[in-house]
Amino acid sequence: MTPTRVLTPGESLFLAPRRQWDLVRASSYGFTAVTVLALAVALTLLVWQNLPIWGHSGEGYFTGKNWYFRHQAFGMLPMLYGTIAVSVIALLLAGPIGIGAAVFAGEYLPARARMVMKLMIELLAGIPSVVYGLLGILILRNYVYDSLRAMGMDPLSGDSLLTAGLLLAVMVLPTVMTLADDALRGVSPIQRQAARGLGLSQGQSILFVLLPQAGRGLVAAVLLALGRALGEAIAVFLVVGRQDNQWPRFPFAPDSLINAGQTLASKLGGAETNIAYGDPVHWAAVVGLGLILLSVVITVTLLSAWIQRRGEAHV
Amino acid sequence: MKRILKFVLVACAMMAGCKDDSGGGAGASSASTPGSASAMALKLNGSTTVNLPAAEAAEILRAEKGMNIQMDTHGGSAGGISQLGDGLVQIGMSSKPLSDDDRKKYPKIQFNPIHIGEDAVALIVSKDVWDGGVKTLSKQQAKDIYEGKVTNWKELGGADQRIAFFNKEPGRGTWEVFAHWVYGSPKSAPAVNFPEVGGNEETRNKVASTRGALSQLSSSWADGKTVFALALKADDGQVVEPAPANIATGRYPMSRPLFLLTDGEPARDVKTFVDFLLSARGQALVRKHGYLSLDQLKR
Amino acid sequence: MCRTTDRVVFVAALGCAVIACGVLLSIVAAIAIRGLPAVSWHFLTEQIRLVGAAGGIFYNLVGTLLLIATAGAISTPLAMGIALTHSYYLPEGRARRNLSLLLYALNGTPSILFGIAGLIIFVKYFGWGKSWLSGGILLGFLILPTVTVSLVERIKVLPGKYIEAAAGLGLTRSQIVSSVVLPQSMSGLITGLLLGLARAAGETAPIMFTATIFAGATFPAGVKESPVLSMPYHIFILCQDSYDPGVSAKVWGTATVLLGLVFLLSLIVLPMRLKVHEEAKNA
Repeated sequence: MTPTRVLTPGESLFLAPRRQWDLVRASSYGFTAVTVLALAVALTLLVWQNLPIWGHSGEGYFTGKNWYFRHQAFGMLPMLYGTIAVSVIALLLAGPIGIGAAVFAGEYLPARARMVMKLMIELLAGIPSVVYGLLGILILRNYVYDSLRAMGMDPLSGDSLLTAGLLLAVMVLPTVMTLADDALRGVSPIQRQAARGLGLSQGQSILFVLLPQAGRGLVAAVLLALGRALGEAIAVFLVVGRQDNQWPRFPFAPDSLINAGQTLASKLGGAETNIAYGDPVHWAAVVGLGLILLSVVITVTLLSAWIQRRGEAHV
Repeated sequence: MKRILKFVLVACAMMAGCKDDSGGGAGASSASTPGSASAMALKLNGSTTVNLPAAEAAEILRAEKGMNIQMDTHGGSAGGISQLGDGLVQIGMSSKPLSDDDRKKYPKIQFNPIHIGEDAVALIVSKDVWDGGVKTLSKQQAKDIYEGKVTNWKELGGADQRIAFFNKEPGRGTWEVFAHWVYGSPKSAPAVNFPEVGGNEETRNKVASTRGALSQLSSSWADGKTVFALALKADDGQVVEPAPANIATGRYPMSRPLFLLTDGEPARDVKTFVDFLLSARGQALVRKHGYLSLDQLKR
Repeated sequence: MCRTTDRVVFVAALGCAVIACGVLLSIVAAIAIRGLPAVSWHFLTEQIRLVGAAGGIFYNLVGTLLLIATAGAISTPLAMGIALTHSYYLPEGRARRNLSLLLYALNGTPSILFGIAGLIIFVKYFGWGKSWLSGGILLGFLILPTVTVSLVERIKVLPGKYIEAAAGLGLTRSQIVSSVVLPQSMSGLITGLLLGLARAAGETAPIMFTATIFAGATFPAGVKESPVLSMPYHIFILCQDSYDPGVSAKVWGTATVLLGLVFLLSLIVLPMRLKVHEEAKNA
């Protein structure tokens, strides 16, 4: 005899009789449809407005290294590089520190303190990006400039890919911490007990059991933070220097990092978006930047979701 | 049922938004402003330079006459021109002369530039450059710096320090005046690769905090303490400082007019605003923000 | 050997925690130290004068509040519809997963893209010029995933016994939804809304092309050509374009007020979330 079990709300609901199309169901579907439709229309419009640039520049749009709108040259590669460089710097810093802090909170703090820290971090995750931008332009960039010069390097100014990367690192840090904390909590207590049972010390069980087990969740957390870093426009706009055509000698060449650059998002937040408005080709180029950015961010975000789901399947 | 009510309310609110089409688009001529419920609002957009006295004038008119005036500075001078052209504002603010291209781009608009004052664009440098001995720049030198041929101040008689040039954003009147001086026309300016700065505050901020920095800035912003305005060597070899006397007579090469642009002759609210800025009180505002008022010009 | 590993791990983790908390707290401190002196009742109730150099930020505050209220009004029905569709009306399977993915993707979309899309749709095609409603709608969509997910999570942990009881009484599915599920999940809706509004309050990119201007707007009249002032945009412009050295304190003051609003919204939510947490544990 199968033992009776408690039904989930969803399942219970399906037991109840239903009329075919009543108001609540219709409006639920309706609102869902409105949302999906609105998003589809928006996306379509963006793609449609982007078309002229492909006819104008062809693949040069993607691979070109020069963006001079006055001369109708639209090449976005340096901006793509800027986007990636800035985000990688941010994640290289925020990733380990965030995960380490989450480990500390989860493994070494008593429950109360952990709760307090978690809530504090979630609160700080809400700081608006324009406030970070303010801090960046008035404080951070001078600090970076002076520090780099003290170290003997010769940046042109405090505005650089590095400065933007540092600012982004601080911005995504709370996100990484919160998500990493969730991932670590997701490791079942049985694993930890088993590790202790085998005689592993706390340090060892963290390194060899906890982190690997939470690995998927941690990667997903970092990817989500990456998505946020890629798309950040306002804060980066104020400190990145906004030099459109900074192409490094080789990827991540140090002198390219300590000098000004441009990212896809910060370009969109700038003056050209207003100027481009009237000219179809210029506007198409600008919209295209947004679409490329969107594709990259969506890919990263969905990758994160996929990894998380794969992780869940294993438990 | 409560649910129905909520649904209906929300739907109505959204429809109301879309239907709000009171065709009260009275006002200047052919500007195809989508008739708006706030047709009473006077809208301005454009140059951040002109915005200073204009916004203060707006505050005064708002307080004294209850006028509804909206100010924005989206896109600088170019933004002002294009929004006037697109019919989104009634007055465009510009700190550069209107070009033929602008007129051709918006054939339906009768651009009417109203001169309200004069300003100058200075090339400003950071303290270390000034103290290092560079106090003048010639057109050729500026050109060489802009094109990347000269990259160190020592080539110009200053200290051994790389030139950190911050280029003004595209569309800014300040940039166009600079390009006009160096190349004769913004269109002849070559494509260059420098970091960009936007408004006055950002420019001054960044130049002041960077060694070897150089940028274009409204001369009234060069305070002589953190950033310094270079004198220019005019075509005849004479060194001209961006002092009010030189700007007034037009000897300083990079002086620029401050304009309110309207579509045709100003009428009603537009006229009130324009008249105010041309009046003694308005011109006092122009002077207050460091520009030259019309009566100070001696040409 | 174990002791060394233990110590190293401990120190590393502690170091990370100290750095993380230290950096974040010092940011708040930096803002507060510079901004609190400028904030006063006067600051909050006066409007901008002298182009940001004097006066207060009353209309900026009003504008931001209006924008987030609109965002809440827009996202509430949509979120309720999507949450119900997701949890109840769609069977377990691809459709439900795709809906989840869509929300996930929407949540990750950069806010600047909302601004660009808004520029095309509302300013260009609808011809609304700059309008508070455009900003509200864009922000509403921006926070939609937050609100929806919060609702969905709440619905998931509803005690099944209520629904069974209602079903036992003979209510139809939709009647159960409207009389049992929705009222019970209100806390989820409110939680999600407050979290979403906290986020929307600080957003600059979606509204800077479509809804906000720097000076001159008070209370909007109508929909078209009715921009509002807003705090994030105010800060953004003053960073680049401030007109007076005296403005500096005002910018920090605005940042402090904005931060205060965001924190307030996030904190109000706290007791509710703790309660839900407790309920979930006991369920």
